[in-house]
Amino acid sequence: MKITQHSSATTLTLSLDGELDASSSVLLDTELAKPETLQFQKVLIDCQKLNYISSAGLGVFISHLQQFQDAGVKLVFFNMQDKVHNVFEILGLDALMTIVPSEAEATAV
Amino acid sequence: MQSTLYPLTIFSWVLLLLSTLSNTQGQAASWLGGPWPEWVTLVTQAAFAAGMFMHQRELPEPLRGNDFVGLLRRLVLGPGLLATLCVGLHLLERVIQYQLPTNDRTLFALIYTINLGLFVFFLAKTNYSWRSLVLFRSSTRIQREWVWFEILLGATLLFRLFDWVPPHPIDYIVIGTLGAFGVYLSGNQQWVAYLNRRQKWEAVLLQVAMLLSMAVFVSYFLRIAQDPKLVAPAPQHAFLLLTVFFSTFYALMGLLVTLFNLPTAGVFEQKREEILSLQRLTQLIQKGQSEDEIHRMLLDSAVQTVDADAAWIMLDNEEQRPQVAQSFQIAPEQMAQVYALLQEYNLHLIEYLNNDLPNSNGFRSLALPYGSLIVMPLRSAKRRYGAIYMLKKGRQGFDRENLSILQTFASQTVLSIENLRLMNVSLENQRVQEELKIASLVQDSLIPKNLPIDSWFAISSYAESAKEVGGDFYDFLHLPGRRLAILIGDVSGKGVTAAFHVAQMKGIFHALMQENPLARSERDKFPLPSKFMAQANHALARCLEKSAFITASLYIIDYENGGFMFARAGHCHTLYYHSIKEEVSYFQTAGLGLGIIRNESYEKHIKNQFYDYNPGDVMVIYTDGIVEARNAAQDEYGEERLQQMLEQTYFLDADAIKEQILTDLAEFSHGQPMHDDQTLLVVKFKAAQPGSHN
Repeated sequence: MKITQHSSATTLTLSLDGELDASSSVLLDTELAKPETLQFQKVLIDCQKLNYISSAGLGVFISHLQQFQDAGVKLVFFNMQDKVHNVFEILGLDALMTIVPSEAEATAV
Repeated sequence: MQSTLYPLTIFSWVLLLLSTLSNTQGQAASWLGGPWPEWVTLVTQAAFAAGMFMHQRELPEPLRGNDFVGLLRRLVLGPGLLATLCVGLHLLERVIQYQLPTNDRTLFALIYTINLGLFVFFLAKTNYSWRSLVLFRSSTRIQREWVWFEILLGATLLFRLFDWVPPHPIDYIVIGTLGAFGVYLSGNQQWVAYLNRRQKWEAVLLQVAMLLSMAVFVSYFLRIAQDPKLVAPAPQHAFLLLTVFFSTFYALMGLLVTLFNLPTAGVFEQKREEILSLQRLTQLIQKGQSEDEIHRMLLDSAVQTVDADAAWIMLDNEEQRPQVAQSFQIAPEQMAQVYALLQEYNLHLIEYLNNDLPNSNGFRSLALPYGSLIVMPLRSAKRRYGAIYMLKKGRQGFDRENLSILQTFASQTVLSIENLRLMNVSLENQRVQEELKIASLVQDSLIPKNLPIDSWFAISSYAESAKEVGGDFYDFLHLPGRRLAILIGDVSGKGVTAAFHVAQMKGIFHALMQENPLARSERDKFPLPSKFMAQANHALARCLEKSAFITASLYIIDYENGGFMFARAGHCHTLYYHSIKEEVSYFQTAGLGLGIIRNESYEKHIKNQFYDYNPGDVMVIYTDGIVEARNAAQDEYGEERLQQMLEQTYFLDADAIKEQILTDLAEFSHGQPMHDDQTLLVVKFKAAQPGSHN
């Protein structure tokens, strides 16, 4: 799992590369738990290279969901592969989180 | 031999006494029928000396281990008393002589013979104590030389027997040579090196006492030799002279060597201390004590060994500034100042020795009361742990030796720490293994052992835990009126926590699926699946950790009405074979996992679904461990493949369908490790069976 990030004034984009399992989800959790993350208006997650997400990985997003909502930070996923999208969908997360096809749409949200 | 030697020695002394008395011309002499011939005295004298020496020679080794001081003490205390006894007897004799009117020599001869016996005993004792010291850690050559020395000394006993009393040239040559031999052997004083400072002082005192008691004996015999009352022939001159000479010379030599060694005793002790410190440090590894203790040990040993005035150990900290682990006689701000300065010059990561701090710019500005500094990093091939800092007041306080001993200490410490960490990791692993064993036992006990049985359906189940304990669960409950509740689910996470939540879910299931006595209609007696999920979500909200969630599906099958209702809380879709339509499909329903939203709004995210089943319909319920099982190419088994399997097998009975699916799954994921728990339930509805109504 590799996490690369770049940010503009209002937006933080995290690109996930690899498999988000129990061990790599710790990395992601550290990133999302940073206090400065909540300073952005939007946090975009680029899932283009995310091949797999385990329940631990989902748990990281779930655990930060409330915090993001309270702080008014929008969490947007884009470029999600079908099988990963399927996992979000089965769990019902697609109704709670914003998942859009492309980066352009994610920026526009 | 020992048992006969001692009586013979005593016997020869008694003979010697009698023979001497026979020459006194007093009453005793006449009573003994004396005077006896002179050769009797000479032979008994020689026999006594030889016997005493041989007896002492065969006694057990007087040196015990490295207890040199003990050996000397035993030697001095015995002969010390003998010398006092000798002087005491001599004085007693004088006193009694004055009281006696006659000029009888009997008493004089008696005391003389007793003192001679004591002297020979003392010499023999001394001689063989010295033997232990000479032969301590000696080569076989020295051992051989010692034996020759003994033989030659023994041979001098014969001199007197051949009546060589008037000084003979050969006498001088032999005695001179043997004396030189004794001097040569006296050079073997290795034992002195094994004494510490205190023991050396003790040894010096004991040797002085030893020489004094020797002097008492010798002076006694020198005085007596001139006495006109002496009736016995002069004792074994050559032999006694040589043994006295050797005993004295060895003691004197030992005294000098010990004295000369006193100034260097400190150095020896320091080396010894270094070795002991190192040993102590090494022993900590086996004791498995804490890192803190190892650091303290290092600081103590290092301070003691290099005699530092102040010292501390600083440990690297990945995120924050390095932290002081142990310190000795130094204030926190001073440590911080020195560290900051070293960091400024980029010297804080390397081995560094500065013996002239007052002349180094940076240190001068700190105005520390120290003149010398050593920094020794603690590091292994892989990583750096920190460093030990040592300060001394004076300049030129440390030398290369200190540096190298500190190096050894540092590497030993790092080794200890790494061993300790490895051990802790393995202990932790063992504990985790143990916990997992318990968790899987718990989990195993939570899985229903008996499947529900009735004539209108058939259930087949399969549940397999991955190596680690996972969170799959399923359960059944018969409800009144030929209804059956089936719960299946998966707790996120693994291990003991997961097993705990499984138990919780099971408890919630059994608690909520109780008949409500206040219900107005039959339908309300048991909660609808969506209501169940909402209540379960509410119950779990507070005890589930923030990042954990549970997926579940609850089915309530009602035979009377030929239908079932279910709700899906984020769990895998239900695969279903419709016998009327002759098609296999997934029930596509929305539904959020439990614990994701933890307030009342959860209820909006969960729906009930109703379906009327027909005989021959097949329901396949499973967990994600089935569809996410991977093959060698890391592809997932997938919903599609599962669907195809049911399309090929729906006509079989429940067990056979399950077996076919599992066989296919096993083929697919052949050789791959199992990542997640796998649970599979196959329910096949049957036609109404009359008569089996309960």
